[in-house]
Amino acid sequence: MLEWIGLLPAFPLAGFLALVLTRGKLPRRIAGVIGVGSVGLSFALAAAITVEFLGSDALSHTQVLWTWMSVGNFTPGFSFYLDGLTVVMLLIISGVGFLIHLYSTGFMADDPGFARFFSYMNLFVASMLVLVLADNLVLLYLGWEGVGLCSYLLIGFWYDNPANGYAARKAFVVTRVGDTSMAIGLFLLFQQLGTLNIQEILTLAPQQWSEGSGMVVAASALLLGGAVGKSAQLPLQTWLPDAMAGPTPISALIHAATMVTAGVYLIARTHVLFELAPSVQILVAFVGLATLLMAGFTALTQRDIKRILAYSTVSQIGYMFLALGVGAWSAAIFHLMTHAFFKALLFLAAGTVILSLHHEHDIFRMGGMRKKLPVAFWSFVIGSAALTALPFTSGFYSKDAILLAALEQPQYGTLLWLGGVLGAFLTAIYSFRLVFVAFFGDDHTQDAHAHHSDDHGHDDHHHGPVKEITGFVMAAPLVILGILSLVGGFITVPVDSVFGVHEEHHASTLVHGFMIAVPIFGVLISYLLYSGAPQGRVLQQWLKSMRESAFGGGLTRFWFSGWGMDALYNLLFVKPFVALAQLNRKDLIDQFYGLLVELARISNRAIVLTQTGYLRWYAISLIGGLVLVIGIGVWA
Amino acid sequence: MTGEQLLLILPLIIVTATSVITMLMVAAKRNHAVSCFITAVGLVLALLSLIIVARHAPQEVTPLLLVDSFNIFFTALILLAGLAITLFSYPYLCNLEDHQDEFYLLLSIATLGALVMVGSTHFITAFLGMETLSVCLYGMVAYPLHRQETAQYPMEASIKYLVLSAVSSGFVLFGVALLYAQIGTLHFADISAGITQGIANGPGSEYFVVASLLVITGFAFKLSLVPFHLWTPDVYEGAPLPATAFLATVGKLAMAALLMRFMSVSGVLQSDAITNVLSIIAVFSILGGNLLALLQANLKRLLSYSSIAHMGYLLIALLTLESATGAASGSPGTSLGAEAVSFYLTAYVVMSLGAFGVMMVVSDSGHERDHIGHYQGLFWRDPWLALVFTAMLLSLAGIPLTIGFIGKFYVFVAGVQGAEWGLLAAMVIGSGIGLFYYLRIVYRMLTPLDHDDPLPVAGIRDVIPHGILLVLLVALIVPGIIPGSLMALLQSVVQSL
Repeated sequence: MLEWIGLLPAFPLAGFLALVLTRGKLPRRIAGVIGVGSVGLSFALAAAITVEFLGSDALSHTQVLWTWMSVGNFTPGFSFYLDGLTVVMLLIISGVGFLIHLYSTGFMADDPGFARFFSYMNLFVASMLVLVLADNLVLLYLGWEGVGLCSYLLIGFWYDNPANGYAARKAFVVTRVGDTSMAIGLFLLFQQLGTLNIQEILTLAPQQWSEGSGMVVAASALLLGGAVGKSAQLPLQTWLPDAMAGPTPISALIHAATMVTAGVYLIARTHVLFELAPSVQILVAFVGLATLLMAGFTALTQRDIKRILAYSTVSQIGYMFLALGVGAWSAAIFHLMTHAFFKALLFLAAGTVILSLHHEHDIFRMGGMRKKLPVAFWSFVIGSAALTALPFTSGFYSKDAILLAALEQPQYGTLLWLGGVLGAFLTAIYSFRLVFVAFFGDDHTQDAHAHHSDDHGHDDHHHGPVKEITGFVMAAPLVILGILSLVGGFITVPVDSVFGVHEEHHASTLVHGFMIAVPIFGVLISYLLYSGAPQGRVLQQWLKSMRESAFGGGLTRFWFSGWGMDALYNLLFVKPFVALAQLNRKDLIDQFYGLLVELARISNRAIVLTQTGYLRWYAISLIGGLVLVIGIGVWA
Repeated sequence: MTGEQLLLILPLIIVTATSVITMLMVAAKRNHAVSCFITAVGLVLALLSLIIVARHAPQEVTPLLLVDSFNIFFTALILLAGLAITLFSYPYLCNLEDHQDEFYLLLSIATLGALVMVGSTHFITAFLGMETLSVCLYGMVAYPLHRQETAQYPMEASIKYLVLSAVSSGFVLFGVALLYAQIGTLHFADISAGITQGIANGPGSEYFVVASLLVITGFAFKLSLVPFHLWTPDVYEGAPLPATAFLATVGKLAMAALLMRFMSVSGVLQSDAITNVLSIIAVFSILGGNLLALLQANLKRLLSYSSIAHMGYLLIALLTLESATGAASGSPGTSLGAEAVSFYLTAYVVMSLGAFGVMMVVSDSGHERDHIGHYQGLFWRDPWLALVFTAMLLSLAGIPLTIGFIGKFYVFVAGVQGAEWGLLAAMVIGSGIGLFYYLRIVYRMLTPLDHDDPLPVAGIRDVIPHGILLVLLVALIVPGIIPGSLMALLQSVVQSL
């Protein structure tokens, strides 16, 4: 079975080709079967491969498909590498991917671009599988760019709205900054080690470089740049909230469960380099910490249901980075997996809410949806519980592992731990704020006065009666993901052999108790603040007065705008760039080329004069030419 | 002459017999289809006879002809090109209001001349071949004389070609005579013997240089290299398309092969003066040809100008040939230059034949579509022809995944090995200019046409021309993607040089 590993990305790729080549002329039913079925086949194969691989004693398996090109000692092969880490990623991508594809057949049922949507989705799954299967960094980069392209295409899927196109471009350009850094990192690694094969790099690096030497710091810092861009961490996190312009299943698949975690995968995959560069590794931890806190505060102020989830994604990936930074590799991967379950669940449930409420995104214009949208409600409760890491949900185990590992960090352990716990507290407040505002209290869907709602791209609010849109294809994924979100914490990720350590973290009962209590306390506060419960009147009054005070209002606006990062980047990069472009409006370099064109044209006009058509002139030219030739030959 | 030697010149004999049989058939009863068929069969038989020839090669057949793998390869190429043009000619000539049969007669005799040229290692056969080819071409260029209003252009073209070609033949003869006076034989190999005695360099070398340059000037005229190129556009434009195609493919191919043989056997490149002159000619041909083509709207003229540039590229590769008899033999440059020339010629024949083939398919003797405007919107009117034409033009421009790219790349590598930096710079500039006018045609083909201009409806007799276009398209793309096997073949071909 292991030799069939090449088929994993081949199925969705074939699906993509079939859907693209038929140019949307297939009936929806067939297009849906191709789109979902190809990923389903991949999942079935991935499951079979996993069973066989874990059943065998092998630590890894390499399958060479063919050699891509061979220039000198640069021979990147089309070869796939399988180990415990790959297996986890494969199952997440194909499994969660399959559920989201299935859900999409319902969600996108009335969209004119149905086949196009599934073709992009299939291409995405194929690229993502190539990314995690690649045994060398060139192939990984192919997958990396492939998912970036699909992300661009799918964010701008409803391209007739210019705002969506802008969001897609923003995502593409911002991640490109990280990609460039990563590409330079690859060049550096190849130049220094003479190979881009990941396993060879991991064995060669400790032999060639001493701990903390300049080269390994540079290489790992450059790779970190790539990871930061793809995973939307500080300072390149600004694209992810805008990426919510895409259809909601896209947000679930690409911008929550899989692609954005590629950065985590990259760092875990090349963990040896980061271990050799402790300064960069601790930087990873602090990037994660800063991002998770910043995104947490921002999420507190958002009104758009998808933006709240987007910031929570940024924040949760921050936890993964924190884990990577303190060397808790398997905890990071564990959280990656549980996050894929509960965040996909939350996004898909949000999709159901949005669709049922006729494209309403603003949670303050929902309210009381508990009875009307029961499936979405329970999904949200389960998902938020896991996100908040309430005891016995999947998120509890993974976040617990991360925080305990952070505490064990010798230098900054306490600081990182405290930050992480504060983040968990924020997580509890904002995620249950969403639940209480949208699903409890009074129904605000028919409110006449127009709330200012953030630009989310889809403005066609047809206010009709609220009825939950749910069929088997949309409900089944929610149920399965809900179960996984609850029990996913009991799955053991088989990555110990990959990272060479078995991680177990212990702490005193006091610490444990504190970590359990904090999220529960957060939920409680959220309940008092946002559910309209009479017991919390004092707190609600305080929040209201805070918001109306100058400082509080300013702070709210500051957080709402994502800590002003967009404005800052606009000032720092966009404005100067535009100004420079304005300055060079006539394009000096282009004028040089214009001159060349003019020169060619003039030469042509001049030289054409020799073509007179007169035989006598031709004959003279023949003889003149001969004289010239002999003259040059004899005297020159 | 032994029986085996007769076997070795079997292709020549078969092509000769073909012309004789065609002539006799015409005398008995005229039939266009039969004449075309006999010619085609004759060329195919000659092609098949190469299998027998290959078993006995390499061997000299009298001092005049050398049958080796080089000869066999170019013979095959010429026969294939001739065959393709024969088959393209049939639908083209069908509505000619005159006798069509003699065109095939001229075509087969011209092919014979070309075959003699690629086999010659001696000035007698070289000259004989050149003249056989040229004399037939005068007739082919002037062939459609039936109509008062259109006759003037073929006639004018033919007269121009006749006069100028005669002048250039005069140069060749004069040069040969001078060389004979110095060396005493007419065999290419004996020149190299003279060069080793030091007649080409140092004091007193002027005589040899002048003599060789006279010969090379004559050859350069046939290859339409600057400054002997002025006739090319007028003749290309005036001639009927099959004749133009023949001139552009078989004519150039035979001449280039002869020049390559002459250079490698005689070792004239050891003379610095000759190398310098040829380098200057190459640079001017590349720049001149491309600049002349820049704003040209007549496709026949455009392709003629582009052929000037292409022959310039070819000359770069020829200049990297080092004399096989020289001390440098065995160095990598020796076979690489020859390989580059052979590959480029093969590529050039495929892509010119394809380009002219598309024009022939949409034209006939009464109405030639040779203006760029005739091809406007071809992508919407006939996607298949547009696809073939685009592929040929992209290949001429040297875009990757086509045989033209590999050919140009080959020439480039040969130039780099020979450290001909100035020539390569000219090649890069020329290719840049070239891209413009090739892509302009593609652009016009993509621009929709607002008025109606119906193309001839492809009937049953167009099956073969379309089939040839398909074959040419395959021959264009397959070596462009996997050039390995063609390269290996050419390596074995040029070993014999």
